Formats: sequence, C-alpha cells, structure tokens
Amino acid sequence: MRILKSWRYPASWKIFRLDDRLLLILMATIVGNCSGLAAVILNRSLIAMFEWLHQLRHYWWVFVLPAVGAALSSLFLDKIVKEGAGHGVPEVIYSVSRYGGLLRFRSSFSRLISSCLTIGSGGSAGPEAPVVISGAAIGSNIAKFFSLNDRQRVTLVGCGAAGAISSIFNAPIAGMVFAIEVIIGEWKSVNIVPIAIASVAGTEISRILQGNQIAFSHRLFSIDLMDIIAILGLAVLTAAASILLTWMLRFMHKISGSIPAPVWLRAAAGGCAVGIIGIFLPVVLGEGYHSVRTMIEGTFSQGLVIVALAALAKIVATSLTLGWGGSGGIFAPCLVIGSLLGLTYHHFIALLWPSVSWVNEGCFALLGMAGLISGMLHAPLTGIFLIVEITGGYEVILPLIIVSAISTTLCHYIEPASFYLKDLVELGHLLRPGTDARVLSDLNVPEILERDCINVNQNMLLRDFINIVKISHRNYFPVENEETGDFMGIIHLDDIRPYLFNPIMYDAVVLGQIMDTKVEVVHPDDDLSEVLRRMDANRLFSMPVVINNRFIGLISKATLLDQYRKELMVQTSH
Amino acid sequence: MKLTIYEVAQYLHLPLSTVKRWIRQGRIPIQRSGKDYIFNESALKKWAKSYNLVFSLPNKVETQLQEARLENLLPAMKRGCVFHDLKGDNVAAVLETAVENLPALSNNSKEELYKRLLERENLTSTGIGKGVAIPHPHDPISDVLENPLIATCFLEKPIDFGAVDDKPVFVMFILLSQSIKIHLHLLSRLSFCVRDNAFVEFLKTSPDSDAFFSKVADFEKQLDKADNY
Repeated sequence: MRILKSWRYPASWKIFRLDDRLLLILMATIVGNCSGLAAVILNRSLIAMFEWLHQLRHYWWVFVLPAVGAALSSLFLDKIVKEGAGHGVPEVIYSVSRYGGLLRFRSSFSRLISSCLTIGSGGSAGPEAPVVISGAAIGSNIAKFFSLNDRQRVTLVGCGAAGAISSIFNAPIAGMVFAIEVIIGEWKSVNIVPIAIASVAGTEISRILQGNQIAFSHRLFSIDLMDIIAILGLAVLTAAASILLTWMLRFMHKISGSIPAPVWLRAAAGGCAVGIIGIFLPVVLGEGYHSVRTMIEGTFSQGLVIVALAALAKIVATSLTLGWGGSGGIFAPCLVIGSLLGLTYHHFIALLWPSVSWVNEGCFALLGMAGLISGMLHAPLTGIFLIVEITGGYEVILPLIIVSAISTTLCHYIEPASFYLKDLVELGHLLRPGTDARVLSDLNVPEILERDCINVNQNMLLRDFINIVKISHRNYFPVENEETGDFMGIIHLDDIRPYLFNPIMYDAVVLGQIMDTKVEVVHPDDDLSEVLRRMDANRLFSMPVVINNRFIGLISKATLLDQYRKELMVQTSH
Repeated sequence: MKLTIYEVAQYLHLPLSTVKRWIRQGRIPIQRSGKDYIFNESALKKWAKSYNLVFSLPNKVETQLQEARLENLLPAMKRGCVFHDLKGDNVAAVLETAVENLPALSNNSKEELYKRLLERENLTSTGIGKGVAIPHPHDPISDVLENPLIATCFLEKPIDFGAVDDKPVFVMFILLSQSIKIHLHLLSRLSFCVRDNAFVEFLKTSPDSDAFFSKVADFEKQLDKADNY
C-alpha cells in the first residue's frame, strides 16, 4: 500500500533524496520518448494532410486553403483551448525563468493541432516550435505529476524541448544544444546530462517509427579557400535576411493587431495572402522541406531573379502567416529562406566570376540555412549542429562555423535580442539564471520584511518617544493614526537628533510635527528591482511597507542585500 | 534531535518563507511529500557549507539570555550593604575605609580594588555633583565578583572630591560590576535617581538601610514603567 502511495513521489525515495541526477535521467527518458512521439505524430499528420489536400491543387480556388487552415487554427486556439497565437517559444522561456517551468497540460497538444491546420493547408510556418511547446508542456506535466520541484521541472521542460527537436530532425545534438542554448540558458552538468538522455530517447523513437533517415542527404562537397572567402558575403546576406524577417514578423504582428476584426478573420486574411503568393511561387507554401531537399541536391532549376524573389516572398509569406495569427514556428521557414538565399548568392557570384569553379550550389544552400538559423535565434551552436546533423555533412563544418559566427554577431549588433527573446526583453521578462534580474525576481518583499519596528502615534510627546527610542533597535519609527491605525508617516532618528538633548522640547513637541509624511511606500507585491530603483533614485536606505493604509513592516537595503547575496550563492555556485 | 522546518530556517538565519521557496524551487536538499518535509540534518549541514551559508543557532538567542540577567539596583545595593559614618579626610582615605568594609571580597582583591578605584579617581573625579560620588574601577572586575554590587557609603563628614560642581561629597556609591554592559545599566539607573533633588535631600539625612531601600524601590518602579512603555 505504501509503495502504491509513494510511487507518485519518487523524489522522496531514499535513493533519490540526496542526489536526484539518477531520478532526472529516468524522468528524462520518459519525457524524451513522449515528446519524440508528439513530434512524430505531428510529422505524420502533416504528411497525411499534405497528401490529402494535394488532390485539390489543380482547382482555381486553392489559394483560399491557407486562409481556411489559418482561420480554423486561430479559432481552435482562441475559442477552444484559449491560448495565444504565434509560435509560443517565448512563453516557454518565460515560464522556465519565472514560474519554474509550469505549463498547462493542454499546451502539450493544442499547438500540434493548430499548427497542423496552418501548415498542412499551406501556411508558411514550421512544425518545430509547436513540437517544442508540446515537448516542454509534456515535460512540465510529467514533473507535476511526480511532484518534482522547480529546478527538476525546468530540466524536464528542457528535456521535452530537446526530445522534440531531436525527434523531428533526427538530430540529437541539435536538440540538446537548442534546449540548453535557447530554452534553459544555463550550461550546467545537472541540466546537460538529462537533456542529452532525452535527446537520445526522442531520436530513438523517431528512428524506430520512421526509420533512420537523414532529412537532407546530399553529395560530397569539396570546399576550396576561394569558397570560404566567398562565404563571408553569404554570411552578411543571411544576417540581413534574418533582421528583415524579424522586422517583418513584428511589423505584420503590429499591423494585424491594429485591425479591428476577430482574430480568425485576421488569420484568414493572412492565409489568403499567402495562398495568392503561392499561386505564383509555390515554393513558399507549407514547411518547405521538399524544396530545401531539391536545393541541396542541386536540382532546383530556377534563375537568379526567381530564386531571389522566392526568398523575399518566403519572408513575406512567413510574416503573413505567423504575424496575422497562424500557428507555427520559424525554424522551417528559416531553413527554406536560408537555402534560397544560398542559391541566390551562388547564382550571383557565378554570374560575376564565371571562370572560378565554385563548389556545388547545394553547399551554399546549406550554409545559408545555418546562417539564417544562427541569425534568427542568436544561437550559433544550434545552427551549426542542426545543419551538420540534418545534412550529414561534416565536411562543411569550417565554412559552417564561419557563417554562423558572422551571422550571429552581425544580427546581435543590430538586434541585441534574438527573435525569441525580443518580446521578453521589452517586457523585462527575460530572467536568465544567475542574473541580477533573476535573483531579484525570485526574492519578494515579505521575505525581507522587518517587523520589529515600534509603532508610535501622532499625538505622542517627544518625551515619551525618547523612552521608546531607548528600547528600540531600529532607527525608523512608523507613525500611525491614534484612532484609525492608518499609516501617517515615518520618523527617522535623524529627525529628532537636534532635539534629543534639549529637555525643554520634550514636552513642547508632538510626533505629528516631526514626522515625515511624504514618504515613499512599498506594497508587498511590488517588484524588488523596482523597489531598489526607487531607493536609489531617492537615496533611501529603508522604505515602509504599507497595505491598505496599514504599516506592516520595513524593508531596508542592508537586509535586502544580505538576502540577495545568499540567494545568489544558492542560485549560481555549482 | 530532529529539526523542524522552522528551526532549519532559524539555523540558516533566513525567513521561513525563503526556505519554503527554496524547497519548492529545489535549491535546498529538503523534499516535500504531502505536508511533511524530509531531510537529513548532516546532509543539510554539508550543503550549507558547500554554499558558504551559515548553519548555526543565531546569536540572538544567546544575547537574549544575557539581557535577561541584567539586574536592577535594589539587589545590587542589598548585596553591597549600606555603611554610615565612614571615616576619612580625603578621597584616598575614604575609599580605603570603604573598601575595607566591603563584603564578599578577599583581602588581596580588596587591595587590588582599592588601587584600581584610586587609579580611576586620578583619571577624573567620579563626583557627579550634588555631593554624590560613584567610584568604580575603570575596567570591570570580572574575576572577583559573580554578581554586581553597589556599596552605599554615607560619610562622617563631607570631603572635597574634586567633583564637577566642586561641592563636597557626602555620599558614595561604589559600583562594582563584571561587565561594561551591567555597569552602564546600573550607572544609568543610579544617575536617574540622583538627578532627583528630593532624593539627594533624602540622602543628606543619612537614612537607615530599610528606608533607603524602599526609596530606591520606588524609583525602580518609575524606571521600569518608562522602560516598558
């Protein structure tokens, strides 16, 4: 019976009590399998949907398909599961840093369905962000089911994301690096080991169910020094495209937000526009893996202008789909745009220097993908490992590193926050582990409240007050209204210092005359970073905490910093 | 001894809410199962050490114990006794006779005490005015005494003590205590009494010990009232 009762509390089993690494590895296996499965399910249903809708391709009204898909997906998200549109990765990052990775159970399937509708019908978006959300939500809910603590839950959220990415790309290292670089933001062995295990589990599930296939296999490339020099230009181009895509996405989001129409109608409008673009350039439709494959194989037979136009059109289509309320990620569009850019660049330099024997255009497509992923996510390692794994092309690693590094650096130069983090940074919600903002956000006012102040009232004589000063340990004395108990002001010892040794004043002055009434007060729910900012701005060392006009305590910088240091020690070392 | 979660918070010098948050966030090796907290004390100690956190009983408890021992005037005065008509023409002579009479001291320590009292008088006079002097050694004598004492000595005839107001001194309170804290505590209480002119007049009548003690008891009551405001 006890075993039955305790199996849901594995953290309190004796073997896991002192060190939970083993427990985390065990849980990571489960989470990795589940999220891997979710990714396979989405992948399969996308393929099924694509094949089913393919029969309709020759009708003239096919351009409304993306509109219908986006509208349905938006309706589903908004009315049935009540979740926000967009790709959802920032929400996961925010939850990891603020709420210990708590995610709703319905998140584990809602995005799968909505993105399936959006992408399957032809919307320009990727299935990766949705599976990352699902994986993360699966990890979070498994952690919740087994009553794990916040730190363990965050790790499992990372495991879910890693398992999902690993499974959908058949790329274990990319999944692991993505989870750590983008989702968790902290390189610690306690996190890395379970996440690596989850990646393995996710990849294995996908290999069992779909076979061990490399997404974009290719011929061997032989890369010369000339190619590496030429690649610098490609890096700049991909950086520019990343910035453009980021801006377009945000711009579209702003425009659609200002239109007074129901969300599903907006999504339909965006989808319709994508459908119209798709009539002329079908390459922009869907997640686009097929076209990426043809480009890497070097069989994408279009001229320079068409390819360049297609790259631009893909950027526009992606921003139309995601910015106007469709559901999906930017991973796959990045790959498509990147390979289109690579191709464009290859055509361009081949035109300029026709005598040089450039490496195959597939190689440029591949490097373009890495540049765009790195630039968009500000995650160079994710870009490098993802491309190496999905193409199985280790021989391109050198130019790959160069493109990723340059693209990330340039993008960082122009847009200091990556696409995923930009909204969070603007709201002040980016709280990476070990940062000042994180430590302050974990602390709260009641934890540093000092309650040993002695309250006085406004009609008290200075003589009586001096007797109180004698026995008090503090320099601040809150003044309360004698009848109502309302907080009126505060007396600092400095305020009475001039009269302290003048007995004539003792019976002549009441506290109401000396107290400071224009005092900055704090509410217990206030953010400590804001409180500290106000302390600095007003050169205060203590502030009274007041709820509903009642004084409940004092917070002082000294106690705050003492607590801050302890928090920092516990959060950062090891 | 099994610690409670509250005691753990006390040991770490942290608010309970912080410890509970750390448990929730998994920063501290304490597990929750249902309502119970499961932890191993030695593991916790090791954890605190590895993070450079203090893990000990707070000093506050100790100082509170000491403060509780702070005595008031009356018991110290009773221990020190009241002496009348002390002989002597100058400071040194009066102090010598007074020290001779002190109870509960060995001859050696009496000599030592006399020397130290005189040393203190040479520094500056302990005559605090209105004919009252409070001789005491510069540093507390912790080795000889277990409890503080105040010897009240009414002099046979007033003598010049070099007091702040140059008035001849007619009464001395020899104040002996084992720590500065107790010394200051008693001194502040004593000076509170002496500040009252009526009390000084009363002292001038060289009252017997019972009347004197009851008067001091009255003052003590006043003082306690002010303290426990």
